[in-house]
Amino acid sequence: MTARQLFLQGMRAGIPVVFGYVPVGIAYGVSALEAGFSPFETILMSCMVYSGSGQVLGVSMTAQHAGLVAIFIATFLINFRYFIMSACIFSRLPGLSNLGRVLASWFVVDETFAIFTTAPNKLAKISYLAGIIALTYSSWVLGAAIGVAAHAVLPAWISAGLGIALYALFIAIVVPGCKRNGRILVMVLCCALSCTLLSMVIDGSWAIVISTLVCAAVGALFIKEEPKAVDDNMTASDNSSASKEGK
Amino acid sequence: MDVQPYVLIILGMWAVSYLPRLVPALFISKLKLSAYFKRFLDLIPYTAMTALVFPGIFYSVPGHMEVTYFGAAAAVLSAILRLPLAVTVVIAVGVVLGIMYFQGM
Repeated sequence: MTARQLFLQGMRAGIPVVFGYVPVGIAYGVSALEAGFSPFETILMSCMVYSGSGQVLGVSMTAQHAGLVAIFIATFLINFRYFIMSACIFSRLPGLSNLGRVLASWFVVDETFAIFTTAPNKLAKISYLAGIIALTYSSWVLGAAIGVAAHAVLPAWISAGLGIALYALFIAIVVPGCKRNGRILVMVLCCALSCTLLSMVIDGSWAIVISTLVCAAVGALFIKEEPKAVDDNMTASDNSSASKEGK
Repeated sequence: MDVQPYVLIILGMWAVSYLPRLVPALFISKLKLSAYFKRFLDLIPYTAMTALVFPGIFYSVPGHMEVTYFGAAAAVLSAILRLPLAVTVVIAVGVVLGIMYFQGM
């Protein structure tokens, strides 16, 4: 296959992801403006950070007036799984130049990982990866831009009410795991309780960081089943849970 | 609302998101993670999102804490019923906006 064909194949593989990215991108865009980011900064963050859960987490914490260090630690924690995904992706691209690695690794997310690491060998080339990235990345940035535009025409009380959207999304992502595995449910309930109680005595953003770390550390002792990773840019309900375990 | 250093937030978030992606891309050959550490990483999204939602969700609609209880309950119910993600979000927002509308905002 030529590079051009591979690129188009990659774009085709990315189409289902677009349906997940655009709505979440819109919700993110509205929430970021509500949290005080300017329209430019809102879109800049989508271009630079390119991480659904990371951006949503950062925006929510900013809205909750968290400190910088707490925001960075929380973002790092939730995005550290890219470490493993990036390793899997680039182990399939041994001939790639260092410059190619520096550029392509910018776009490592759950969906890129899921599609690329489960693709047949004949497709697992840099052009195919570039095709996936070109379509999904631009739809993510476009979603944020639509959110910014929507915010301008919505009355203030509706924008305020939309503040719950991202939290509802988190609930929708976490609940299926709780239904699948009772131990995850117990961990999640302990986490909600500990964060709520901790935030009464310490700064709320540190309550989030501490609850996240401690509950996952304890949970990993008891939860042996390989949990399916929660989806990053939140297409969980449709396409990606099946392809998640690409080793 | 007090002003946060927004550009700094974006730059910092970019750095902590990009580094974990870049390092294994450049040095993939020497990677060994324990099974425990992998499970820990897999569970982090669950705990991080949960900790973010509770108690944060109750402050997500400024000045209207009471409507968030209904919005949260609607989202949990919808998620238990396995409705698609987007539907859950729309239901929660709809409940919140509906109540606010009937309260006269």
